[in-house]
Amino acid sequence: MLLLSYLVMSGVTTGALYALIALGIVVVNKATGIINFAQGEFFMFSGFVAWMLHVQMGVNYPLTFLLAAVVGFGLGCLTDRIAFRPIAKTDVVSLVLATVGIAFMLKGLARVIWGGKADYLSFPPITSTDPMMIGNVMVIPQQLAVLAGTVAIVVIFTAFFRLTRAGKMMQATADNARAATLVGIRTDRIYTLAFGTGAAIAAAAAVLTAPLTLLYPDIGFAFFVKGFAAAVLGGLMSLPGAVLGGLIVGVVESLAGGYIHSSVMEVSPFVVIMIVLVLRPTGLLSFNKIRRV
Amino acid sequence: MLTPRISGLVATAVLAAVAITPAALAQQPGLTADTIKIGTFGALTGPGYLYGKLVMNGVEVVFDEINAAGGINGRKLQLIREDDRCDAAAAIGAIQKLVHQDQVFALIGGGCSNATFAARDAIEAAKIPTLIFASVHDGITTPPAANIFSTALTSSIESQAQLAFAMQQNAKRIAVISMRDAWGRARYAPLMAAFKANGITPVADEELSPDANDATAQVLRLKAANADAVLMVLYPKPAAVFIRDAQKLGFKPLNVGQTGIADPSAFEEQVGVPGATASFRTISMVKYTPDDPAVDKWRRLVEAKFPGDRLSVFNQFGIGSAQVLVEALKRAGPEPTREKVIDALAGIRDFKTDVYPGPITCSETDHRCHKTPAWLAKDPGGPIRVLAVTPVER
Repeated sequence: MLLLSYLVMSGVTTGALYALIALGIVVVNKATGIINFAQGEFFMFSGFVAWMLHVQMGVNYPLTFLLAAVVGFGLGCLTDRIAFRPIAKTDVVSLVLATVGIAFMLKGLARVIWGGKADYLSFPPITSTDPMMIGNVMVIPQQLAVLAGTVAIVVIFTAFFRLTRAGKMMQATADNARAATLVGIRTDRIYTLAFGTGAAIAAAAAVLTAPLTLLYPDIGFAFFVKGFAAAVLGGLMSLPGAVLGGLIVGVVESLAGGYIHSSVMEVSPFVVIMIVLVLRPTGLLSFNKIRRV
Repeated sequence: MLTPRISGLVATAVLAAVAITPAALAQQPGLTADTIKIGTFGALTGPGYLYGKLVMNGVEVVFDEINAAGGINGRKLQLIREDDRCDAAAAIGAIQKLVHQDQVFALIGGGCSNATFAARDAIEAAKIPTLIFASVHDGITTPPAANIFSTALTSSIESQAQLAFAMQQNAKRIAVISMRDAWGRARYAPLMAAFKANGITPVADEELSPDANDATAQVLRLKAANADAVLMVLYPKPAAVFIRDAQKLGFKPLNVGQTGIADPSAFEEQVGVPGATASFRTISMVKYTPDDPAVDKWRRLVEAKFPGDRLSVFNQFGIGSAQVLVEALKRAGPEPTREKVIDALAGIRDFKTDVYPGPITCSETDHRCHKTPAWLAKDPGGPIRVLAVTPVER
């Protein structure tokens, strides 16, 4: 039982991070209909910006969090302006490839700016490094901070989409861009907002994750793969689905590692995803019907 | 009148004289009356720069010292750098450029193992004397290519040393945690062979992804196996995650690293949990910590030539390797050829450098010239200490 508790706790923490990446992917996909392959690099780049602010410039952690999210938002908006808007009317493959190009550019830029500092950059812990007991389970306070941060971000974005005018316009654009244009919604601005919001979520995830991991220019892709898997599991268009997908991916890999063998950790979530998609092709929380053509 | 026999001798003498004229020497690429062009390749950018750029900086200060003393037989050493970005294709391109465009006389380089391994065929085809300074992949030197020698420890030597060290520390229940990418497999396979050779079975054999952010499952399994030593075939990032989670879960075995985690100070900082690295030991290719008075001279030279740099173990890789290459160039004599340098490298025996833990010995059949790993420890917050030297296969 104790083993199970430890594994579930570590899986939920890791899964929360995957959920945040998945959220960013879903936000962009809902508004624009494309998968942003630069989401992992938004995460990586914002993490380095946060490291520069907090470690090199001594900015306190809350302000670092805020500034990194702002930088992430700007990065997302810029991506929309240079890689999406000019080719928005072309086919989906071109749009997706443009985000792949942005991913490579950001990775290269990070290598140029931060690549010569060290092989891996460490971000100081924001909480005590001493483990604490919750019941019989030992946890690192930073894990709880990640969980709390993830919950807060999910609540904020759920409220944003449900309660704000901008959020509702994004939903409307996602449902039917042409109809949204006809009723006066500036869909181009909605796309910018979606890219910015998705990147800001990635930045928030990076600042939360940074003290638990080490930063390096290639960190983004690994997170993107898991986040994308989580988004697919959740249904690609569902925000709660992204969160659920992230948690499932995290917990499944942790349990597989603990109970089967560590060599199956990486592959186990994908096996589960394959099974889920065979049984429910739209994902766990997407209720769109599949149309046969 | 000359007899046919004497005529033959005279002709041979004349041919020999012609062969060593400056005109003949000029046919040696990268060699002039006053310079020897040496090419170097490795990562100048990206995270692998530690094993590239910093090592090259070490090579360059040795060359500067030699040049200041008049060069080798009157020829100054000129270093030409190429960035391989730790990328296989870029490494092959770097070799082609150095050999065919820059026309260097010899090579000293090789940071990231996979990139250097990929470039092995290109180096071998060029028949250029080459000394590897940091890449550890066994395939670079085994089976030996006639022209490629290495002053880096190889992965099989390190793996043997990891197990030998754990046994020397009286570990009874030895476990392994490894990455299974190309880098990890190059070490994992010889490590398992070393276990087998010693008649030992690891009590646990776990895998950790290079991108892992959590190692709870692995730590719990190793703890359940009651391991008292864990041989880590990991990069610093997953290793830091593992050590953090081990600390969290109260698992405190002897953690045995390798040159992938060559800097205990940097690793302590990366782990970031006070005291968590107390039982961490790792291999160093060099004998001295950067603050050791024994390397004062090199610290001054490196920091003077590269303002902003602090002498590191990576600089020392370059210093040791360059001293070996310089020795081979000297032994090749005043009229060096690539073949003579290759022969000289193969003939180096018990050569002492300023930095390696033991003497360098190459041979015709074994081009792995460095077989004396040193063990480093760092008490939390304290200085790095050299614990021991573990000679392997000697």
